[in-house]
Amino acid sequence: MGATHSASEEVRELEGKTGFSSDQIEQLHRRFKHLSGDQPTIRKENFNNIPDLELNPIRSKIVRAFFDNRNLRKGPSGLADEINFEDFLTIMSYFRPIDTTMDEEQVQLCRKEKLRFLFHMYDSDSDGRITLEEYRNVVEELLSGNPHIEKESARSIADGAMMEAASVCVGRMEPDQVYEGITFDDFLKIWQGIDIETKMHVRFLNMETIALCH
Amino acid sequence: MDGAELVGKIVYTWLTLVLGFILLPSAFGVSLGISELYMKILVKTLEWATLRIEKGVSKESVLKNSASVGIIQRDESPMEKGLSGLRGRDFELSDVFYFSKKGLEAIVEDEVTQRFSSEELVSWNLLTRTNVNFQYISPKLTMVWVLGVIVRYCVLLPLRVTLAFIGISFLVIGTTLVGQLPESSLKNRLSELVHLTCCRICVRALSGTIHYHNKQYRPQKGGICVANHTSPIDVLILTTDGCYAMVGQVHGGLMGIIQRAMVKACPHVWFERSEMKDRHLVTKRLREHIADKKKLPILIFPEGTCINNTSVMMFKKGSFEIGGTIYPVAIKYNPQFGDAFWNSSKYNMVSYLLRVMTSWAIVCDVWYMPPMTREEGEDAVQFANRVKSAIAIQGGLTELPWDGGLKRAKVKDTYKEEQQKNYSKMIVGNGSLNSELD
Repeated sequence: MGATHSASEEVRELEGKTGFSSDQIEQLHRRFKHLSGDQPTIRKENFNNIPDLELNPIRSKIVRAFFDNRNLRKGPSGLADEINFEDFLTIMSYFRPIDTTMDEEQVQLCRKEKLRFLFHMYDSDSDGRITLEEYRNVVEELLSGNPHIEKESARSIADGAMMEAASVCVGRMEPDQVYEGITFDDFLKIWQGIDIETKMHVRFLNMETIALCH
Repeated sequence: MDGAELVGKIVYTWLTLVLGFILLPSAFGVSLGISELYMKILVKTLEWATLRIEKGVSKESVLKNSASVGIIQRDESPMEKGLSGLRGRDFELSDVFYFSKKGLEAIVEDEVTQRFSSEELVSWNLLTRTNVNFQYISPKLTMVWVLGVIVRYCVLLPLRVTLAFIGISFLVIGTTLVGQLPESSLKNRLSELVHLTCCRICVRALSGTIHYHNKQYRPQKGGICVANHTSPIDVLILTTDGCYAMVGQVHGGLMGIIQRAMVKACPHVWFERSEMKDRHLVTKRLREHIADKKKLPILIFPEGTCINNTSVMMFKKGSFEIGGTIYPVAIKYNPQFGDAFWNSSKYNMVSYLLRVMTSWAIVCDVWYMPPMTREEGEDAVQFANRVKSAIAIQGGLTELPWDGGLKRAKVKDTYKEEQQKNYSKMIVGNGSLNSELD
């Protein structure tokens, strides 16, 4: 009796913190156990067995994002060695769709959180800026599978994109002015007015509605 | 003395009953209706149990239909559509959005690994092993469950083990005896009789209820029969309705004895382990077999491994390169009465058989389908996919392009590179456009 009582307490706590319903939490818990091999924590190696993930060009960045202390809200930088179920849900909650019933302020907050998640994916050294090197790194990873694309093309794509970002954020630059990198505010500026909601969410289904229509 | 006599009498009556009610009717292909009665009682009991559970559970948490429905609705749009839309600004930034979403979808739920574990049931079927979500409801239900355990372990299990034992010994002895005869049509008929009788006995050993549909399309001699694979029992189910020539590796132990005995009575195609690696040799031998129109149709499972019967995975093209007519067959088990899927990484053969023999029953549907041949200009892979779709549609299974070998191996690098090449093509196309505008 005692065991079940505290389990549902935990679920309610997680519901409050992450916004998932209890059914969804149970389903995700099963998935967590499957990935971790019934251990209480997941390590990077546990993500190696997912065939669908192998095809993703930025898979290492995605896996890294799960262990990033900034995303887990545990510190300003660094990587955790392993994550437990609560951390797993925290990362998942970045991808929840924006609730249409929320007010404008909350919507903005959600949006900012999602963009911050992406910013962290680019900014690998946690210095608060996306430098040219980091940007190039991402483009190279995206194009890594194709042996026909030379490093030069990847670099020139990155350079071109960086210049565009500079023109948006800083306006006209003097000829010898150096653009140090995209800060988070610049990043927000780039995406101002553009609807990222459909791109950055995963539709978690409400389990009850499924059961009713069979 | 008295005790031993009593035991002897019990065993004697037991065996006579078994002989009279099960063995003799099987030999003649006649059914006494005992299994039908059992199934009717079973269905009524399970229905009652489901209603009790539904009433017992509170209205808030409705029965979870987590069977094959996932937790997320995946975005199935192709890469181009997903990536466009936000272009115009920095395309790499937006592409990272798309890929991180796809990555997360894969982490939450991937279509492949869930096929290698047993299907989850919608409502509990009173077996402890399928009790994932269901808690204690009422004393009546628990009593029925206890009764079920007693019936399954103390009545059905010994009966089934006896039958299985008798069936296999009869098979070995029968085929060895028939094998002594010279080649003649009498020999073929006798070998058919022996095979069919033993298979019927073995099916009764599992309390199997099989419905065959479209018997007019049953595979003919000189053809190749192709089916989806869920467990070793598939072979038993198909051979109860017709004789096939099996293809496979030579095993040691009990399986080896059975294989050697069977091949004396009628020509099966068994390969040594070393021969299996040589694809040309395998194809040649199979071609020789089907060229002889008097030989029985070959039975092949192109998936190469056991899948959990909710989907059909990639058909390996080797079977489709042999030529000849393909007779597709779809097999679908009803998981409510017993799970037939063999999870070879979790259970070995003996524990698997024990699990099957302590379930309620094995109920399945077999659909025979019209024969297919390779068309002009179609290569083996396309033909394999065509047959796979037909089987998936008929059996009500989903279709996956993935290789069943992923159960044990990782994704091939060539497959990964395909996807990445697609993406790079799109980027470089746009990239050059951008630099022109500068």
